[in-house]
Amino acid sequence: MTGIVDADSVTKRYGEVLGLNGFTASFPAGITGLVGPNGAGKSTLFRLLAGQLRADAGSLTLLGFPAWGQGEFRRRVGYCPEHASLFDWMTGFDFVSTLLRVDGFSRSEAHERAARAIETVGLTAARDRRMKAYSKGMRQRIKLAQCIAHDPQLILLDEPLNGVDPVGRAQLSALMRQLSATGHHLIVSSHVLYEVERLTEQIVMIAHGQAIAQGDLHRIRDLIDSRPHMVDLETPDPRGLARLLGAWDHIVSIEFTGPEKLRVLTRSPEAFYAALPALVVTERLNVRSVHSADDNLDSVFRYLAGGGR
Amino acid sequence: MSIAAPRYGATSAVRLGRGHRTLAIVGRELRRRAGLGTWLVVALTYLAVTLIITINTEFASLIGQLSLSTFETPYASPAWPFLMLIVATSVGAGSLAEDVGNRSITLYLSRPIRRIDYLAAKTAATGSWIVIAAVGPGLAGLAIVLALGWAPASLVLTGAGAFVAVGLLASIFFTGLALALSSLTTRSLYAGVGIFGVVLSLEIGAPIVSGLTGNTTVAYASPITDILSVAQSAFGISGPYATDPLTSAVILAFAGVFLAIFAGWRISRVEVVGE
Repeated sequence: MTGIVDADSVTKRYGEVLGLNGFTASFPAGITGLVGPNGAGKSTLFRLLAGQLRADAGSLTLLGFPAWGQGEFRRRVGYCPEHASLFDWMTGFDFVSTLLRVDGFSRSEAHERAARAIETVGLTAARDRRMKAYSKGMRQRIKLAQCIAHDPQLILLDEPLNGVDPVGRAQLSALMRQLSATGHHLIVSSHVLYEVERLTEQIVMIAHGQAIAQGDLHRIRDLIDSRPHMVDLETPDPRGLARLLGAWDHIVSIEFTGPEKLRVLTRSPEAFYAALPALVVTERLNVRSVHSADDNLDSVFRYLAGGGR
Repeated sequence: MSIAAPRYGATSAVRLGRGHRTLAIVGRELRRRAGLGTWLVVALTYLAVTLIITINTEFASLIGQLSLSTFETPYASPAWPFLMLIVATSVGAGSLAEDVGNRSITLYLSRPIRRIDYLAAKTAATGSWIVIAAVGPGLAGLAIVLALGWAPASLVLTGAGAFVAVGLLASIFFTGLALALSSLTTRSLYAGVGIFGVVLSLEIGAPIVSGLTGNTTVAYASPITDILSVAQSAFGISGPYATDPLTSAVILAFAGVFLAIFAGWRISRVEVVGE
């Protein structure tokens, strides 16, 4: 693997809990979205990349360097953690300029860069306010400012849009695209596929600490769309409805989930939804509700994590 | 409002070395600890020590018994170790514990700073505050005495040397202790309780064990007794001392350095686990 970030069978345990479980993926140049539900292992991977955790097994490199360690290569990396307490007693400007000095910039250079980075994230008006007075969105912005202020080659953004208002989301997304266009490599994590779709077509999907899909978003979308689709129906005569539905060739299985409920698994949701109204009318069925049980992202992850079964 | 990607013309900007980066953390940490509580306890230490020195010096002058040993009285007072414990707790207990507890350490560790530099910065900042409280008050008291003309300059200078020597030794110990305990927990409260608990339990426990076993060397286990012996010797008080001053000085210095190394070992292994 020769990506910007390469992970080979990386495992990280927290006692009995597995944070990452043999995670293997290669993150190419440009923007890559790391998508997964909460608790999938995204933040664990970021902390490993940021040198805050040591992998129990496997190999993890960024920019060709082992992730565990505080070598000089870290000046080429910017990290925006999801949960990190800021130095609340400092102003936003002091915060960014102090961290720039830890990066090795002189005081004047640190001040100049801090001012520019804060302007970049749209916080200039609040730069001299103490950060304890910042809103969640402002805190996200100031974290992003400290992350990009030293002009790093690789930028790690852990849920950067979390807590940011819709206008701010659009602005920060545009900023990420601009950063990519100017030669920076970004890894952006999110539990919302839609957010990442707007940024990049390169994604790594993670669930249960493992990379369950990687590559072009459209291919993964096709995979998701071709999976059996689950539909819950409510009717006073579930057995009668099941008998009729069972004749359709795209139905994979029918399960009775209650006295008046059944769950149908279909390979072709489009055909199912197109044919169901006609069936209801011609057979004079009383179908009280139709509910797609797996439209949410969690179900997609469950499906992919289950090996496409 | 519009935003744009930064266009830095200085990707090749000169980066300063490890010393500069470490100093940046020292500066940040010194300011972090400069809260109202710290200033109050430091001011209280200055007030207590200078009052003790000036009153004792005036009294000793009046009865014609002014000597170097007159300046030793702050160390013999129970107020001094108590104030030093409060200072060590307020500036040192949260030094490492807070950063790990609230995960702000992540902001440092993701930068080109070695963990040993991080610890060195924390040690320098914590140690600076403790030196200010351990050495400064004695010197301030002597300056007042000198300004008032209550003691000859030669005696004041000798006393200043003794204050610096004893104060630095105490600072090494309290800095190491505060860092070690701060590295063991993610809550500064626990570290603070630990600082008081360790020192006071040794101070109370050592004489009891010594009395029960008849083993006088157990007295060396009490850092306050050690500091008092060193102070008595430095200020020219003739023995007998509770412990041998030279041995006590070596124990204090060794313990302080050992505890700081222990904190370094802890920090080198620390992993920041999220929510």
